[in-house]
Amino acid sequence: MSALRPGAAPRWGNAMTSSAVRRTATRTLLATTLVASIALTGCAKSEDDGANDKNTGSTGDSGQVVATPAAGNAETCTVEKFGGKKLDLKSATVGFSQSEKEANPFRIAETASIKAEAGNRGVKLLTANAQSQFSKQISDVQDLIAKGADLLVIAPLNSDGWGPVLRGAAAKHIPIVTIDRKINATACKDYVSFIGSDFVEQGKRAADQMIEATGGKGKVAILLGAAGNNVTTERTKGFKDQIKAKAPGLQVVFEQTGEFAREKGQQVTEQLIQSNPGITGIYAENDEMGLGAVNALKGAGKKAGDVKIVTIDGTRNAVQGIVDGWIDGVIESNPRFGPLAFQTLDTFTKGEKVSQNIVIQDSAYTGKNAKSGLGKAY
Amino acid sequence: MLSVSSLTKTFPGARALDGVDFAARPGEVHALIGENGAGKSTLIKVLTGVYQPDEGEIVFGGEPVRFATPLAAQHAGISTIYQEVNLVPLMSVARNLFLGREPRGRLGLIDFRRMHREADAALRSLGLRIDVRRPLRELGVGAQQMVALARAVSVDARVVVMDEPTSSLEPREVRTLFGVIRMLKERGIAVVYVSHRLDELYEVCDTVTVLRDGKLVHTGRIADLDRLRLVSLMLGREMSEVRSEGLTKFSGDHEAGGEPVLDARELTVRHVLHEVSVQLRPGEVVGLGGLLGSGRSETAKAIAGALPPDSGTVVVAGAAVRTGSTPAAIRAGISLLPEDRKAEGIVPGLSVRENIALAALPGLSRFGLVDDARVDRIVDTFIKRLRIKTSGPYQKVGELSGGNQQKVLLARWLAMRPKVLLLDEPTRGIDVGAKAEVQRLIDELADEGLGVLLISSDMEELIEGSDRVVVLKDGAVVAELTGDDVTEDRLLHAIAAEGGDHD
Amino acid sequence: MTDLALRRAPADRERMLGLLQDYGVYAGVTVLILANIAFTPHFVSAENFRTQAVQVAPVLIVALGMALAIGSEGVDLSVGSVMALATSLVSLYLGYGPWIALIVAMLGGAAVGLASGSLIAHIGVQPIVATLALMVAVRGIALVMLPQLKDVRDPGMATLGSGDLLGIPYLVLIAAALALLVGFTVRRTTFGRQLLAIGDSRPAAQLAGLPVRRVLILVYICSGVLAAIAGVLATARLQASDPTSLGNLMELSAITAVVVGGTPLSGGRIRVGGTVAGAVLIQLLTATLIKHDLPPSWTQIAQAVVIVLAVYAARERGKR
Repeated sequence: MSALRPGAAPRWGNAMTSSAVRRTATRTLLATTLVASIALTGCAKSEDDGANDKNTGSTGDSGQVVATPAAGNAETCTVEKFGGKKLDLKSATVGFSQSEKEANPFRIAETASIKAEAGNRGVKLLTANAQSQFSKQISDVQDLIAKGADLLVIAPLNSDGWGPVLRGAAAKHIPIVTIDRKINATACKDYVSFIGSDFVEQGKRAADQMIEATGGKGKVAILLGAAGNNVTTERTKGFKDQIKAKAPGLQVVFEQTGEFAREKGQQVTEQLIQSNPGITGIYAENDEMGLGAVNALKGAGKKAGDVKIVTIDGTRNAVQGIVDGWIDGVIESNPRFGPLAFQTLDTFTKGEKVSQNIVIQDSAYTGKNAKSGLGKAY
Repeated sequence: MLSVSSLTKTFPGARALDGVDFAARPGEVHALIGENGAGKSTLIKVLTGVYQPDEGEIVFGGEPVRFATPLAAQHAGISTIYQEVNLVPLMSVARNLFLGREPRGRLGLIDFRRMHREADAALRSLGLRIDVRRPLRELGVGAQQMVALARAVSVDARVVVMDEPTSSLEPREVRTLFGVIRMLKERGIAVVYVSHRLDELYEVCDTVTVLRDGKLVHTGRIADLDRLRLVSLMLGREMSEVRSEGLTKFSGDHEAGGEPVLDARELTVRHVLHEVSVQLRPGEVVGLGGLLGSGRSETAKAIAGALPPDSGTVVVAGAAVRTGSTPAAIRAGISLLPEDRKAEGIVPGLSVRENIALAALPGLSRFGLVDDARVDRIVDTFIKRLRIKTSGPYQKVGELSGGNQQKVLLARWLAMRPKVLLLDEPTRGIDVGAKAEVQRLIDELADEGLGVLLISSDMEELIEGSDRVVVLKDGAVVAELTGDDVTEDRLLHAIAAEGGDHD
Repeated sequence: MTDLALRRAPADRERMLGLLQDYGVYAGVTVLILANIAFTPHFVSAENFRTQAVQVAPVLIVALGMALAIGSEGVDLSVGSVMALATSLVSLYLGYGPWIALIVAMLGGAAVGLASGSLIAHIGVQPIVATLALMVAVRGIALVMLPQLKDVRDPGMATLGSGDLLGIPYLVLIAAALALLVGFTVRRTTFGRQLLAIGDSRPAAQLAGLPVRRVLILVYICSGVLAAIAGVLATARLQASDPTSLGNLMELSAITAVVVGGTPLSGGRIRVGGTVAGAVLIQLLTATLIKHDLPPSWTQIAQAVVIVLAVYAARERGKR
């Protein structure tokens, strides 16, 4: 930040852009890129290099069957109704369109699960990632169809805007299964079925854990997810409804958004424990915010167990938090859609009935099963 | 038509107008003159609704009025043409002419065909042939000014206020402008005309009002007032003093000798300059003559490194200077006082002190830290030596008058101890008193051994100030006047030679 | 703290607007503190002041760099992404110890500044466009380096994030030192003064022979390095590298702090003290609304109101 004298460094002319200046600029940019790439590839050495990296996300036990199979009275779908042809899944090509970059444990586990199940069944799999751009996801899906996908598994980025693509797929009678987020279209006409978690139910189960941890009495704070997100709304609704119904002694005194991020969760909790020092429990609508809350409690000199924390998602870090005594319960939001998705497609292409709405089974972690469940957490 | 009485307007620290009476009558061109700070601009701004008066009455068309905004004044029929063109550069000429009152077709959409036709007709009536579809910014400053004038006139104006309308016009355009003014007169429109150029006032105005320090000092027919009397009224000085000093402050001759301190050879910039060569000896003032657009400013900029030449060399005191680099030129000892003082010269938001020290800063610093004591010494020295009128070194330069801003710029360069001083219009737009001071300074600097290149569209200044005059035309040197040949007559002949059709 | 141009008294209304622009932020901070003392339980406590100071530190550091960019009549939108880059680099290089990791992160920030500065100074790309491009690109690079959140367990980083010296957290000490350093740079160095001149009138600075390009590049390098430091500190506090969300919308908070602090967007003037107060004002505003459990959207609305007021004061005053 020192000042420069006119004699101290190479001089640049003050005139309008001349070719010489362009060359200098290009050289500077090249140098910068070089520096950046050295940093990227060069001699990085992270903390746990040499040790076994536990965070690769490939260790999840893919063999588990996690499903609430087609309930008898729910609406179902068949090949005849949908208007396609039966085929043998083994010889078919499946296209998978992922919505976001695999940058968080959920997406990593989700994609890994799909790939693993395809490998287990020996099905040819084409994949694409929309990098959080909806327009890219639309063209991804069209590409997958063009490349010869007979069946599609889509993790949609949005619920809306799928009309054109679905019409294109329906014209070719390509069955589609959407996972983790529902789209606004007609089941068994535009797509076959939706497989996902019940977020309201997750909220309810989180409330049950909170009631158990607190004994049903005291003051509770909610760290909300990102505003305007259906996951946030539903996890909040389930939690509050259940508290109201089962534990009138528990009072929700604080609701602020932590935007699903650890840093925000930490900052909001820091404010919370100063304005409400007597807080009994914190319900974080995802693990990251819960871990941020743990940071804040540690920083304020609290001890493990002083404030009860319940979170949703089931990442390894959060489950480890139970083992360490800081977190009291974690409701899983199961990302392992692979087995269920392929099972659904298999059943469907054989000509049998499948349910239009399939709820994946989410497990839960508490002090009792955390240690043993750590290997299962994603 | 439009008159004010006992008008008073006070700004913190200054009474800009103090009980001023003024009347513009139909069919009359009324000159409004005074030194900078006399209150001309304030009076105009009150007349056109920019400022509200503290006291006093404005009567328009026989009724007392008060214009809350410039738009209100415009709607009432008072149009203004400012020194700086204030139109929208990216819009077409026609859009600018009809801005805010576009002819509408059905559905309320702009009727472009009609607008273009009417715009063309309006400009033709002023003797201009311009493609009205072109964006305004592609036009020269003079042509832009004419568009502004056309706009003012076409708004069914009853009063037209012109604030130094000719300062960026070529002589040919000035003739057109005067033609238009006479036309306005015949239509019974009142014209208020502000200018520093005495010739113009006597040519086109009927009456004159002189302001000094916010007060009215004279009003009457201009024909009854000779030039010296007018100047002395503006300056508030005795007649004899003005006469003995002449109209410019130049002494005339300098002892110029030795090897050239600046030797610029065959500077060429495509479409702009063609092998222009200029030599300056120490202690010599060389004028650059020529019309607007003849390449005078461009020559100065090419020498100073601000305009990279395609070919040509610049040598200062025997050492070659890398062309196209302002820092290189400055290190070699070349200083340029640019033509556009406000945009390219001063840094308006910074203080007088910062502005003076700006270029010399690296030399006044050690290890990148500014030595404030040394800066203070230099700033104080120059404020005193150049008699810069400021409330203190920490006053913002943007708040100073034009003449004092120019002195600050001179100080900035003198602090660099230059060998060559390139002055582009050093006295444009500054008042008579400051002008005389700047002219005297130029003389002094030359006497101290600097080589000075002087550009001025004030012919008197150029002739009296220069030892030699290099005459440019269409970017090339066409003549060089020396000794007894340095006269207005010779200069005009040189410019007009070969009967050139100059655009 | 830093105000080079002492101003002559303008007209009454203008003077009021000038006062609002120059000192409104201090009045705002005072009012908020008094209101909180009166209405917020447990507000007056060492822990609370510590929390607010620690939370504001990274924002302030980024805002200091932003003030330099805005003072040069530019803006640096890449700061949030530079924080993400820094956090990724820290995670990748922590094996060499926290100091090396910090230096690598700062070099990364400097490289981004060099790139945006070069685009702006040499090729003439508008600052908002150049830094927007880098904002997108650098976030991408950060995620390629470290695709997901990763815990940081280094004891040195833990001390940096939550330790203190004589009762004052390191984070706050570092932020205060950097504020003083930037204030000194603006006020006393050749670089600082040239930067202001360039921000006020670039053509004039160019004709006065100032090394315009070099100064502009240096401005963005400073901004990049400061953002990188903020990124490292945020990492230390979080005890994790989270390039997906670290620094999101940080450019907005920083610009708000700078503008609310009285630095005009038109360049030529930098108020470092005002920037500090601006960052504190936003922090207190957010904290107040959170502590009273008001809907989060209110925070955004309140921030918007403050920005509008600040810009209004600056604009009206600039009219003349």
